[in-house]
Amino acid sequence: MAGQRPIPGRRYDLTAALDDRVRALCAAPPRQGDLAHPIHAYLGGLAAMPSPIGDFSRDLGLAFDAGPVLGECRLSFPGRLRVGQAYDATVEVLDLTRKPSRRFGRADHLALAITLSDQAGPASLLQFKMITPAVDDG
Amino acid sequence: MADRQNGAGWRFGPVSGPEMAQWCALLRDDNAIHLRREAAEAAGFGPRRVNPGPANLAYVISAAMAAHPQAEFAEIAAFFAGNVFEGDRLAVALAPGPGGTLYAEGRAAPVLRVQFTFKEHD
Repeated sequence: MAGQRPIPGRRYDLTAALDDRVRALCAAPPRQGDLAHPIHAYLGGLAAMPSPIGDFSRDLGLAFDAGPVLGECRLSFPGRLRVGQAYDATVEVLDLTRKPSRRFGRADHLALAITLSDQAGPASLLQFKMITPAVDDG
Repeated sequence: MADRQNGAGWRFGPVSGPEMAQWCALLRDDNAIHLRREAAEAAGFGPRRVNPGPANLAYVISAAMAAHPQAEFAEIAAFFAGNVFEGDRLAVALAPGPGGTLYAEGRAAPVLRVQFTFKEHD
């Protein structure tokens, strides 16, 4: 699946109420103008995947139920995430590699890129690596 | 999730299970280590639920937003070195880089390091 064309996702409706809820959860300062909290690049990216991250991972053959963790991530903002705006997501599998792991013995490293775009073009790009314990019958 | 700033930096927590469930709902993430203690235990994380990584990142971003109220983020790079568990109290140390590091009370090693790049405005 890695290297294939970006997969269309769902729409992320970034409302002021949603942004207020997120800010309350992470003790963020009040919103300035209509600029949303930057973590929506992550929240919206996962929320607007074509299927939830668990199902998406399981479809790739990953042992999601074994408890994956985040390795690293990068949020980029070519545009702006604003409240009162809806964003369309596209998902791209950048890489999927099995590697030795200190914690898990062996683990599958999945790299995904998720773009949120509005009419003006890409507003945010999320890239992250998720590390899932390798569970097989071998 | 209360916060305050003092000489040691920004502080958050204690992290709660219901808050983890809210983050999971926002993320559409059913990873059981965030939702059930027995799942966290079975996965080798110990007896407490594990806070979702994006929540940890959100705390550090919030601290940077408060410290730089006029700044707009161009890029945020995060490296997850450890985990936050329910009941943990957290501290964010901001650096002039600009960047930030998230610590869990009682543990010397950081759980998350973040680097920020801000947009330049006229």
